[in-house]
Amino acid sequence: MSRETWQEQLRRGTLDLAILLSVSSGPRYGLAIIQHLEAFTDLVVAEGTIYPILGRLTKEGLLESTWVEGEAPHPRKYYALTRLGTKRLAEMTDAWRDYVKKIDRLMTASERTR
Amino acid sequence: MTLSAVGEARINGYLFVLQRSLKTFLPGDSVRDAVREIESHLRERIAAADGSPNERDAIERILAELGPPLRVAQAYSLERTVDEAVATGRIVPIIRALWHLAVSTAAGFFATLAVVIGTLIGAGTIAVAIAKPFFPQNVGFFMREGDGFPHTFGGQFPVPQDEHLVGGYWIIPFALTAGLLILVLTYRGARRFLTWWRERRLS
Repeated sequence: MSRETWQEQLRRGTLDLAILLSVSSGPRYGLAIIQHLEAFTDLVVAEGTIYPILGRLTKEGLLESTWVEGEAPHPRKYYALTRLGTKRLAEMTDAWRDYVKKIDRLMTASERTR
Repeated sequence: MTLSAVGEARINGYLFVLQRSLKTFLPGDSVRDAVREIESHLRERIAAADGSPNERDAIERILAELGPPLRVAQAYSLERTVDEAVATGRIVPIIRALWHLAVSTAAGFFATLAVVIGTLIGAGTIAVAIAKPFFPQNVGFFMREGDGFPHTFGGQFPVPQDEHLVGGYWIIPFALTAGLLILVLTYRGARRFLTWWRERRLS
């Protein structure tokens, strides 16, 4: 597997978690989620691919969306975590921390034996 | 940045292509919602842009960051159609998902080809069962003179001189069972492929 393929798989695998984390502190609209992700990560390759993922997470019941008019010259679609989304985010966060800890341990052990 | 008429036309053109692409696989309400959201994104970006070095370049930069409309539509397609097919297991979403994967990926193309072949063989076998009562002398297994095993299963109109028909009306339950079995296995194979694809995408 090439480095690019591995990085792409890593990016795709963590994008759901990153999006849920972006709205964990409160509702955000699409562009604000993208800007939040861009500020902390390099997970957004093409902005247009984030919206279908938001749609899927909404369909899966992890997010709920609301159109808000009058706040800006154009309507904005806000996304917020549902109860199921909050629960799933907690599970994903625990799993991610556990995963990182194990890989870190493995890397440390590998470095020691070098 | 406030758009000129040319700039507006460029944005509307982008949204038009996106809408046309989304229409091929999404219901009308979802298309309107998706296009509205992408337009909101573009308007927000344009409002925040300073228009440098000129309007045209600024717009092209914003559109490039969003991605070409066909790519955005394809991302919607993969997210929606495959998920719907896997979740519901209904025939139409499965066909739609396979079609989109067939035109966008090599694995999807070969999987769809296998599903098409399986469906044709299954449907053909059932057609043999249905045709047997109407053409009892032309439908069934066919053997060549001197051969120990049949070489054709189906219908021949007329039956060639050096061949003869094997099998009576028992062909009907046999063909019905075999045809249904092939169709069920093809359906299960299609679902398994889409599930694998979805897991691969999420992994």
